[in-house]
Amino acid sequence: MTLPKILLRVFVGLVLLWLMIPIVIIVPMSFSGARFLAFPPPSWSLRWYEAYLASPAWMQATRVSLTVAVSSAVIATVMGTAAAYALNLANSRLVRSLQVVLMLPLVVPIVITAVGVFLVYANVGLLATMTGLILANVMLGLPYVITSVLVGLRKFDPAQEMVSRSLGMNRLRTFFIVTLPQIRPSVITGLLFAFISALDETVVALFISGGQYQTLTKRMFTALRDEIDPTIASISTLLTAVSFLVVMLVALSARREHRQNAAS
Amino acid sequence: MRVTLSIPMITAALLLSAAAASAEQITFVSQGGAYQEAQTKAILDPVAKLLGITVNQDSSPDAWPVLKTQTATGKPVWDVIDTPTKDCIRGGEQGMIEKLDFSKVPNAADIPAEYKTAYSVPYEFYSSVLAFNKKKYGENGPKSWADFWDVKKFPGTRALRSHPMATLEAALLADGVPADKLYPLDVDRAFKKLEELKPHVTVWWTSGAQSAQLLADGEIDMEMAWNGRVTAVIKEGAPVGYTFNQGFLQETSLCILKGAPNLETAYKFLNAAISADIQANFPAYIDYGPGNPAAYKTGKISPERAAQMPSSPENAAKQVLISVAWWSSPAGEEAQKRWASFIQK
Amino acid sequence: MSMSPINPSVAHDRRERRLVLLLLAPALVVVGCLLVVPLGWLAWQSVRQEGGFTLAHYARFLTDDVYWMTFLQTFRMAFIVTAAALILGYPVAYVAAGASRRWSIFILAMVVLPFWTSVLVRAYAWLILLQRRGLVNSALTDLGLIDAPLTLVNNEFGTIVATVHILLPFMVLPLYATMQKIPPELTMAGSSLGGTPLHVFLRVFLPLSLPGVVAGMVLVFVLTLGFYITPELLGGGRTYMVSMLVSRNIEVYNEWGAASSISVVLLACVFFIFRIASLVIPFERIMGAR
Repeated sequence: MTLPKILLRVFVGLVLLWLMIPIVIIVPMSFSGARFLAFPPPSWSLRWYEAYLASPAWMQATRVSLTVAVSSAVIATVMGTAAAYALNLANSRLVRSLQVVLMLPLVVPIVITAVGVFLVYANVGLLATMTGLILANVMLGLPYVITSVLVGLRKFDPAQEMVSRSLGMNRLRTFFIVTLPQIRPSVITGLLFAFISALDETVVALFISGGQYQTLTKRMFTALRDEIDPTIASISTLLTAVSFLVVMLVALSARREHRQNAAS
Repeated sequence: MRVTLSIPMITAALLLSAAAASAEQITFVSQGGAYQEAQTKAILDPVAKLLGITVNQDSSPDAWPVLKTQTATGKPVWDVIDTPTKDCIRGGEQGMIEKLDFSKVPNAADIPAEYKTAYSVPYEFYSSVLAFNKKKYGENGPKSWADFWDVKKFPGTRALRSHPMATLEAALLADGVPADKLYPLDVDRAFKKLEELKPHVTVWWTSGAQSAQLLADGEIDMEMAWNGRVTAVIKEGAPVGYTFNQGFLQETSLCILKGAPNLETAYKFLNAAISADIQANFPAYIDYGPGNPAAYKTGKISPERAAQMPSSPENAAKQVLISVAWWSSPAGEEAQKRWASFIQK
Repeated sequence: MSMSPINPSVAHDRRERRLVLLLLAPALVVVGCLLVVPLGWLAWQSVRQEGGFTLAHYARFLTDDVYWMTFLQTFRMAFIVTAAALILGYPVAYVAAGASRRWSIFILAMVVLPFWTSVLVRAYAWLILLQRRGLVNSALTDLGLIDAPLTLVNNEFGTIVATVHILLPFMVLPLYATMQKIPPELTMAGSSLGGTPLHVFLRVFLPLSLPGVVAGMVLVFVLTLGFYITPELLGGGRTYMVSMLVSRNIEVYNEWGAASSISVVLLACVFFIFRIASLVIPFERIMGAR
């Protein structure tokens, strides 16, 4: 190996290490015995996990966040997959410009989106409601689903649909029996991104959630303003672990499927 | 497969959250942190138990903007807020705060008239004090705002709240204005004096938690912070000292939102929360003084404890009472708007 | 018209078009109601005052220095963050694209891993690390490299470190996607023709990776323009971004006109950047759907 190559790899290794730093810090801090954030922790305890699990307010926020993330991810995946299918089907210029519209939630700076959603909700009475939170996150998740499913559809050979339909299956059945199984990895990726983006979404939630329906991230944000203690670190550790687990499960199932397909 | 699993999850979550909403309830909003935690034990839980209601809590360090937007929609989510008196008054004048029907608040009779307004009852007293790192300065830390401004005698990093209230007053005291001649504030003079210190201010803090973390980390050597935040850090063993000298005494009040979803329960709550007996619980949990002076007569507060309270006569004498009236005036509003440009430049 | 015999292919086309619209409708309704309509309302609001037309909200950009200074600082920040993300991200994507499948998956996993940790908490991790008595400063002091602690956080520097950290995946992923498609034979051919590795890289690989560079830069730049949480927490109250100006105008001053005009100008900047970039590569490609 030449020297520049070694240097390049060392550089990349350092960048990756730098990316890991916050996780390396947060996990031990969550087991801290101290009242304030400190690294390395002066003593060890599980008190911040207890503080989180024993608090009705945190638990309520967790339920809200999970409900919002799961339902908005599912809805966004259904809507987004339908939209991506249509976008792939059509070739007119008009439809193309519609695609730009559907990508807007990713492009418009999040504060502006938050203000906009707030305005709409204030007028129709959706502030501080579960429906409102879910709808907003459906919108924010759509671009992820559409992008991901479009990638899958572009790889998919439309001739297969033609064949299936010439055999007398209608369009809907064709989609579920022929197309969907083949684009499934992209659909799952989209679902996953929508789920994580909803789980981590903070700015819009700051504007529109409240009362009983406060998301975990909103509570975390206000908690960080009010009281900086390691509870936040323990919640984040749990969140990271959960997200990680979900990703691993999906990766594993995708792999098993891949193997099964290869075997059959 | 995975998708179908989620449906029962959603249902379960919705059911759980619905169950929490059945009893008679109000949403109470305070400023969060150790302060709200202490209130929960001192006031909120006892009141909830006494009245048999559920007190939902929300926290917002600056409730005013949320108040404005909530009432603008005509359907506020909050019922009772614990907020600076100024917000109760201007909120009342702008039709966002309920004009109190004092016949429903009999306990307010104990409270001196000068603490009450048509829209609010006093809740607790706190103070913005000068806190410093003892490791850096020993026992001979800065004792006045003139010391705070003296970067030669007291080198080190500083932090101030990113808000003009109390900060402008501190600048004027540092510039030699006598405490009894502060109001109306000479805003130009205050900003000029602040401009002098600006290069030495490391952090303009925006939340009480941040000010406490800064002291605990030793990130800054001295700052203006709320006395309860400072004592919380000291209790954790951080080498921090503070002085009530030239502190700024402020109170927060309780008021009810106009169109509050649970108006009657809100009144019941308000009345119970300011009773002398409940108010006397405050000092046991936090270093903020009760808003109802009758609390000192209940025998629940020891004289030693009373001496640590920002509102005790001895401590109050060293401090300056912030003029809510001036800050609610057009000049006060103007000073607040000027703050953004000051910070930015 | 409806009486005339319908050409079967025209009928088919029409049915096809109806299906397309039907499938797009739900998504369009959601984005339309929650985003397009309020954006229109904001634009309308930005030229209204007390029931009449006004340009007063825009005039503030000329008269009030806070406005243009905030935009200046935000753009400055976006440039620095984009440049830093490119410098850090390009080598990572390059190595990942050239590595074996197993390694490239590993590298990409490392790049997206921090994505699962809340942005809020990451901000505090940086605070702990970079503050005056934080790990970095005490390590540097112990090593004798510095005498006095450096100011690494509660300023623009700390904000940049955390922002680049959050946005790096948005740089690496499009870069990787582009580089992965560059046939290895091309670079091999280059070197077999006697080019030095650097020469081959500059003449062959770099130009071919440019679409990825543009896509990554546009994404990072635009996302930085709208950044909110990180500067708020790590800027020491001094790093003032456009998004903070928007929210402060609403929350503290309740000035919808001012907030609207700032939003409109910021949006115009964002769309302009996408427009320019789309001259080089198509919009869908920036967004990752190739």
